[in-house]
Amino acid sequence: QAVHTRDPPQPGGLNSSIWDSSAMLRRIRGPLLAQEMPSVSVLDYALPQRPPQSRDEERDPSERALPRRSSSPIIGSPPVRAVPIGTPPKQAAIPNFNQQILCPKPVHIRATMQQRYPAPYGERMSPNQLCNVPNSSLLGHPFPHSVSPVLTHLQRAQLLGGAQVKLLPAGRMSPSQFARVSGLVGSPLPSVNPKLLQGRVGQMMSPAGGFRAFFGAPPAPPPSQLPHPPGPGSHLQNLRPQPQMFRPDTTHLHPQHRRLLHQRQQQSRNQHRSLNGSGGDRGGHRSSHQEQIRKDPYANLMLQREKDWVSKIQMMQLQSTDPYLDDYYYQNYFQKLEKLAAAEDVHGDGPKKERTKLITPQVAKLEHTYKPVQFEGSLGKLTVSSVNNPRKMIDAVVTSRSEDDETKEKQVRDKRRQTLVTIEKTYSLLLDVEDYERRYLLSLEGERPALMGERKQKICDIYDNLRGKAPGQDRLSDDHFMQIMCIRKGKRLVARILPFLAPEQAADVLMATARNLPFLIKKDAQDEVLPCLLRPFSHVLYHLPLGTVTSLVQQLTNLPQSAAAPTNLHLTAVLQNKFGLSLLYLVLSRGEELQSSDTNTELMQDNQWTELMLMATRELLRIPQGALAKPVSIPSNLISLFSRYVDQQKLNLLETKLHLVQGIR
Amino acid sequence: MNYMPGTASLIQDIDKKHLVLLRDGRTLIGYLRSIDQFANLVLHQTVERIHVGKKYGDIPRGIFLVRGENVVLLGEIDLEKESDTPLQQVSIEEILEEQRVEQQAKQESEKLKVKALKQRGLSVPRADTLDEY
Repeated sequence: QAVHTRDPPQPGGLNSSIWDSSAMLRRIRGPLLAQEMPSVSVLDYALPQRPPQSRDEERDPSERALPRRSSSPIIGSPPVRAVPIGTPPKQAAIPNFNQQILCPKPVHIRATMQQRYPAPYGERMSPNQLCNVPNSSLLGHPFPHSVSPVLTHLQRAQLLGGAQVKLLPAGRMSPSQFARVSGLVGSPLPSVNPKLLQGRVGQMMSPAGGFRAFFGAPPAPPPSQLPHPPGPGSHLQNLRPQPQMFRPDTTHLHPQHRRLLHQRQQQSRNQHRSLNGSGGDRGGHRSSHQEQIRKDPYANLMLQREKDWVSKIQMMQLQSTDPYLDDYYYQNYFQKLEKLAAAEDVHGDGPKKERTKLITPQVAKLEHTYKPVQFEGSLGKLTVSSVNNPRKMIDAVVTSRSEDDETKEKQVRDKRRQTLVTIEKTYSLLLDVEDYERRYLLSLEGERPALMGERKQKICDIYDNLRGKAPGQDRLSDDHFMQIMCIRKGKRLVARILPFLAPEQAADVLMATARNLPFLIKKDAQDEVLPCLLRPFSHVLYHLPLGTVTSLVQQLTNLPQSAAAPTNLHLTAVLQNKFGLSLLYLVLSRGEELQSSDTNTELMQDNQWTELMLMATRELLRIPQGALAKPVSIPSNLISLFSRYVDQQKLNLLETKLHLVQGIR
Repeated sequence: MNYMPGTASLIQDIDKKHLVLLRDGRTLIGYLRSIDQFANLVLHQTVERIHVGKKYGDIPRGIFLVRGENVVLLGEIDLEKESDTPLQQVSIEEILEEQRVEQQAKQESEKLKVKALKQRGLSVPRADTLDEY
């Protein structure tokens, strides 16, 4: 009798089920299905092992020795109202009742059975069924010795195999079995009794299953038709508290999923019944069943209940508190499919097809507040660290090192890390901003202004992050931005951000890029991600006025240059790079567009532009062809641009050099 | 009876004969008796099948409990088509011998390869010292 488990009065207890078979009975205090646990004695929680106890009515913890130290996560956790999803089902209280008893029960056991319920299958009732007849009040004393124990699966299989069953010595049942029994007696279907459902998710199947087995009821008996057995049954009825509000959360099944599950249960039972013939035909029943056993004697080792339990877990996994966060790709994919299907339905002439959808319901998050455990009759509360109530164990203090100690390398590394953190933070903001459209559609009218405000604020924050917000400073340095642009993810980030920025801000970003383009080009040599910026840049350009465009060209080409500088390295670098050249073309094209379309441009601007163009074309003519990069695309209006500023001969040169004429290539 | 549309579940596969490929390369064939949410499998009347070339040999193993994470893939065996195979079944001793020979040959060729690479100044890191990704 080495192992004795405690069974907490709460549903099942998280550890008890594995040790059920040799469990000593605990007196069950109070209502079985209690919701609230008044100051819970730690002894009632799942301490793994306890020395054997005398069966006293009163338990006075203060008289005992100190309880064993427990590292169980349950102590210190909020009382578990719903059995966690991973809890395996209890051992079968009512296993497959059609199994044949090849090894009949020894007589001395049978004699003490008090049959309180009609036995639909007579002597073919399994030992487990017989055992579960409660023959004493649940409030009273534990079972007498005479009650035989529940057989484990192994024992059942042994039974089937004809082996002699060795009955367990202690001959006691655990309270968990009581719990099941109570579920059996007079309990309405789980779907009707939310109380039962709420507290007994892990055992949900049991009452329904056992219920059927016991009464051999037709598929869907309404609760009122249940025969209520006398004696303990009424006791149990009184014990049940009022059904409470069913609050769905992550530990409960969505109604549709539950429906699916019940449908399946009924189907399987119908199958079962139909397979075995009518209820009265015992002989036929037996033979077809025997045949089954002959074909595969080890079939159905996994009970329907357990199969349902596994599929229940799978269905639970579909529930989440925020589907768009947890399961973004599936949600989007599913929406696309739906749209396709909807489009099809619109076009098709036939009736709309009913497609079974797998729903992923959204469920409210359940707040667990930790209430510290308190011993009865003690002062103060126990503070235990557990998964639901983490405690700080180590005081880790961050010591910032002084500047002198650090080497240059470390500084660089830290700076880079800072930049990476900034990028990540900005990305989070960006994802939120991108999501606002969807939220906007889902929200109520009143909430929308608030949403818009939030969104705007986030965009501001993004921009600040990007350009390096410095209090008091007037954003004189591009340094922060350059750091971000040196990292591949940073460039992609900027490309995604640009559509959300205001025109001035976007222009600012563009300028900064153009200004430092050679540096960026050098850094981008390995990644080659700069071209991803071209599309957003072109969108930005579309909205820019001529003045900005002019300055852009200035920045890009680094013109006008001082007379002393022999070569225009800036421009050379730009022209030799794919992105640089493409960007230049884009800008030039935009400028040309503005020029040709808008006749009201100021003379000053016009002059500036013209001068710039003259210088630019001169440079372009100078550069050898081999040094030019291959641009992503060549805008069509470049020819007309250049034709304004150079004579025909030079124009031809330019055309060939830059492959401006489409036909030549 | 489709338990859940659009999902995969092992529940329909229970009590059927399956072929299971494990991460360590073993092939098990047995009746799937029980599963759980981690796809841990209980295989009954399991047989470990060793394939070498066109031959195979079966080693009866009894009951297996396989931890879910070690399963690469599994599939139901069509009992009617099971015997319809071009492979030739041999005795256990023979197949083990064949396997040993095959392993040896592989090791030899591997050694030669490494040697040749070393001579050229290249070294291929061993698979177990590589990062997972």
